[in-house]
Amino acid sequence: MTPSPPLLSIRDLKTYFYTEAGVARAADGVSFDIGAGETVGIVGESGCGKSVTALSILRLIQPPGRIEPGSRIEFEGRDIVTLGDEEIRDIRGNRISMIFQEPMSALNPVFTVGDQVAEVARVHAGMSKKDAWDRAVEMLALTGIPDAGERAKQYPHQLSGGMRQRVLIAMALMMKPALVIADEPTTALDVTIQAQILELLVDLQKKIGTSILMITHDLGVIAETTSRVIVMYAGEIVEQAAVDELFTRPHHPYTEGLMHSMPHIGHDQERLNVIPGTVPAPTDWPKGCRFRERCPYSWDLCEREHPPLYQVGAGHVSRCHLAIEPERRGSPHTPLVVEEGVAAA
Amino acid sequence: MPGQIQDSAVASIPRPRESAFAIGLRRILRTPSSRVALVILATIILVGLLAPFIAPYDPAAQPDIVGLKSLAPSLAHPFGTDPYSRDVLSRVIYGARLSLAIGLLATLVSLTLGVAYGAIAGYAGGVADAVMMRVLDAFLAIPRLLLLLGILVGGPQLSIGALILFLGLTGWFGLSRIVRGQVLALKHAEFVTAAQALGASRRRILVRHLLPNLVSPIVVAATVGVAHVIVLEAGLSYLGIGVPQPLASWGNIIYDGADQGADLWWMSLFPGLFMVLTVMTLNILGEALRDAYDRR
Repeated sequence: MTPSPPLLSIRDLKTYFYTEAGVARAADGVSFDIGAGETVGIVGESGCGKSVTALSILRLIQPPGRIEPGSRIEFEGRDIVTLGDEEIRDIRGNRISMIFQEPMSALNPVFTVGDQVAEVARVHAGMSKKDAWDRAVEMLALTGIPDAGERAKQYPHQLSGGMRQRVLIAMALMMKPALVIADEPTTALDVTIQAQILELLVDLQKKIGTSILMITHDLGVIAETTSRVIVMYAGEIVEQAAVDELFTRPHHPYTEGLMHSMPHIGHDQERLNVIPGTVPAPTDWPKGCRFRERCPYSWDLCEREHPPLYQVGAGHVSRCHLAIEPERRGSPHTPLVVEEGVAAA
Repeated sequence: MPGQIQDSAVASIPRPRESAFAIGLRRILRTPSSRVALVILATIILVGLLAPFIAPYDPAAQPDIVGLKSLAPSLAHPFGTDPYSRDVLSRVIYGARLSLAIGLLATLVSLTLGVAYGAIAGYAGGVADAVMMRVLDAFLAIPRLLLLLGILVGGPQLSIGALILFLGLTGWFGLSRIVRGQVLALKHAEFVTAAQALGASRRRILVRHLLPNLVSPIVVAATVGVAHVIVLEAGLSYLGIGVPQPLASWGNIIYDGADQGADLWWMSLFPGLFMVLTVMTLNILGEALRDAYDRR
């Protein structure tokens, strides 16, 4: 279902952090593709490895973290993992760019936003100050900032949160990159602004024809923007499917849990459904299935054997042994963990 | 972060572009004490700049070494004369020029070294940082005056240029500590990662993204640094190893009258007064600037 050849092809990505508490296997054998023009979502709780995967694509992992040898990130025919510093810098912001979660802290407080957008063109296209500035104003206008010429002369603290996020989007799209990684692009924004920003992203994607990798913990964002979804848990992909398929036929108990924990309007609920327990420590992933202790269906096989990604439908894979014993879904039990009563914050 | 309720053009009022310096100046002018300090300092600077036009006599001229020596203040010589019959007022006025210039230039040398050293150590991190900081610790352990005395005593009489250089060379250790700390704190800020994600090189990130964020602590350190150098220069001149005769600096005017102490009180009172005023105003302004930038 992915158009071939894919724009980005990640194979067995392992990004480990060598901490004093041990080796944190934050991304632990992640493989997926993104086609040209496609929007793919990665969803999961905090600490599941989604941001580390995103940062690995741009090779922005800081020590003590590193991408393990054997990992491959092929982009436009080159392996990002083995590129030289100069070459990777040429890709960053130019062919692949990133939109960060917190627009205030992602902008430099002592420069005008126009300067910051223009800088991208100066770094990558070697444009003159004047040309880069004009281009920046054009780009800011394209992201829906009214009176962009004047706004460009302002500092980040003089803009609202939504405006700042538009500035970051302008920076990310300045060079018309082949891939934009959006790491929780709307998490820091008000709900009404969230919708506007998502609409803007989808709209600009159509205009520029870029692919988007949308990183989020919010299934609503996934539903609105993406065509294919990757669910991550404990450093691994646990389920992958087209967005409609995933929402109508979630297979992995973790995905199921995520969906149940979404509040529904019109349903009377005493309290939100939560998945019991928390993500285990990345230095110490459980043997067998990593979700086993929080799972209402687990049985002895789950402890013995780490599940592979089973094919459970067309373009639909799931890392759950239920694929071979589907009848067990009919008899759930209480998960092994003692429920800690952590309601959704 | 106010103004996030709605995402519209009216979320904040547009203001003209302002440099960090302009913001600092505007803010410090709000407090009366720093307004007074600024006026006094500006006057002293002006006096120094216009020295040739306002000094009543040639500061180096010794018109009558017998008849006009060591006169107490009078109408003709408001600050009196020194043992060589030179007019002390004129020497204090020229002294303002020299003492301020030395303070400023030596501080520029310190700033350049301190910022470069601290920024490189902080940004490089790891072993390089550790080694560079231990070297700095060694320098910091020796009092600056002692270091200068060690360099200057027993050597040949130095030119003004060399004196400035040595004052500058011994004055950057503390600043480089500050810069290193700030760079260390900022280098993992998200805007640095964002700049990296956009393809900026390490050098570009350090020079274009990190250093501009350090302007305020650097300005504060520089202001206080100038005051420090002025006092040091006076001390060295007082010991006879600072500014060479017949040039006048506040320190060596006091030195000229030192051996007769209380008898020639005007020789220490007037240059001393100017020095204390300058140092005080610089410190007041330095502190006001620190407050002004802190509020951000």
